[in-house]
Amino acid sequence: MRRRNLYFVYPLIVFILLVLLFPFFVMVSTALKPLEEVYATPPHWIPRTIRWANFGDIWAKYPMGAYFKNSFIVALGATLVNMAFCIPAAYAVARLRFRSKSFIMYLILVVQMFSPIIVVISLFKIIARLGLLNTLLSLILTNSVFTLTFSIWLLGGYFRNVPKEIEEAALIDGCTRLQAIVRVLLPVAMPGVVTTIIYTFITAWNEFMFALTFIQSMDKRPLTLGLYNFIGRWTVQWQYLMAAALLALLPVVILFFFIERELVHGLAGGAVKG
Amino acid sequence: MRRGKFWKTESGLAFFFLLPACVFLLLFMFYPIVYVILMSFFKVNKLGDLVGFFGFGNFRFMFDRPEFWQIIVRSCVWTALAVAVKTGIGLVIALLLNVDFRGRKVARGLVIIPWASSVPISAMIWQWTYNNDFGLLNHTLRTLRIFGEPPIWLAEPRSAFFANLWVDIWCGIPFMALVFLAGLQAIPQELYEAAEVDGATPFAKFRFVTLPLLSNVLTVATLLSILWTFNDFNVIYVLTGGGPGTSTDILITYIYKYAFQYLRFGPAAAMAVITFVILLTVSILYARSYFKGGGVY
Repeated sequence: MRRRNLYFVYPLIVFILLVLLFPFFVMVSTALKPLEEVYATPPHWIPRTIRWANFGDIWAKYPMGAYFKNSFIVALGATLVNMAFCIPAAYAVARLRFRSKSFIMYLILVVQMFSPIIVVISLFKIIARLGLLNTLLSLILTNSVFTLTFSIWLLGGYFRNVPKEIEEAALIDGCTRLQAIVRVLLPVAMPGVVTTIIYTFITAWNEFMFALTFIQSMDKRPLTLGLYNFIGRWTVQWQYLMAAALLALLPVVILFFFIERELVHGLAGGAVKG
Repeated sequence: MRRGKFWKTESGLAFFFLLPACVFLLLFMFYPIVYVILMSFFKVNKLGDLVGFFGFGNFRFMFDRPEFWQIIVRSCVWTALAVAVKTGIGLVIALLLNVDFRGRKVARGLVIIPWASSVPISAMIWQWTYNNDFGLLNHTLRTLRIFGEPPIWLAEPRSAFFANLWVDIWCGIPFMALVFLAGLQAIPQELYEAAEVDGATPFAKFRFVTLPLLSNVLTVATLLSILWTFNDFNVIYVLTGGGPGTSTDILITYIYKYAFQYLRFGPAAAMAVITFVILLTVSILYARSYFKGGGVY
């Protein structure tokens, strides 16, 4: 649309942004306050003394190092497992012809929407029987399963957009199918691979319900569960929780900006491709 | 490709490539679903072992409790209200971001942040924000005199429901806004110009150009949003844990409560099966409208 009558846009946008970012202002404000200002009535927005030490204290007072490490192991492990299954499957649905393919694609899209809650009851039994309760491996497995279908969907879309001729040329030049995939297709489709990796990593990093169900001991908790356990103690040190939340959110929020467009297109499909 | 051995054919290769993913999904997704369905028809002890066939006993147990029906109604109200508001606000934001103003890219980036943020952690931040004495929400509402005396959000059933609902809406707005924005940008500019030549008012352009061309995006996004909203476990669990009592539980949190707090796995499995059927129906509708909007594969 042309630039005219723009005077109504700015106040509206500013109002919407103030509402949408409200809790993040709260988070930053609280994370920088000393204890007595956190529990001041009435509360105030701008800290009178800025206490950067909150960000240092949380590492000493809570096992933040372990939380970060666990989240990282789970997210990385889930990503690796996911990609190992996802790359060949995405290649098959994008490149190869086989019977009942459209049915399988349909199934993948439907399964992608299932809530983990439906299966968590029985999954709990299965994880227990495998002896995996209270292990990070249980989270790696469940997170990679529940991201797999959408990953296949996302990556398959990328593979399909790479011209078939590039691969055929490699095959004619004497590459095996596997070499053609690894040396030709994957480098060309690298943006897609990266998007899928980031998607899986973020989803596993943010996961809460499986961790809540499968993990008991303090030293195995990922960030989401670890931070949740800040609350529910007798007194909550909100300035510490907000400082920890800020650190936990920062990496994934930044990563998310690289994939948001692909996520929107992957989820809404042809409807937004114009 | 050469003929002969199975794995040298194209469908043979496809089979090999799909096999690992399929086995993985069968083991950790389909088998658990089948197991839950089985559980729902059995008596299950507190350890989660099947101890005897129960027919529809678990289902009847739930159906006989008035609380269960309250939760069904609440889940429907929850989903309907949240999706309606997300769609409305999302559409408004999309229309605003579609205007070519200075700083639009920055605004778009900032709008995304609630979606980019981790839902359980956002819910924790909101819990602090809602705090009556020290929280900045009620402080702001008092200062701006929007509420004479704002409710103690998480303490009382009705306000706690709306407090939960708002956080769910807040998480869902960015996706709706972005998807509608992508849909708006796919509408050819010529159509608006043609409408202008015909003397259409801005409202007429919206009603007769934008809305019809956006209808497919609207359907897909709304169905997705219904699935996500109905499934929103994190917000309610972190904010109120379904409390006070079970006054803010929806089906999905109630299942979890029944299984892992009351250790009544049978009734929990029965509710999971009911949820499964509901989700399956909406998912199929979603998949249909997804493929309708320019089928891929």
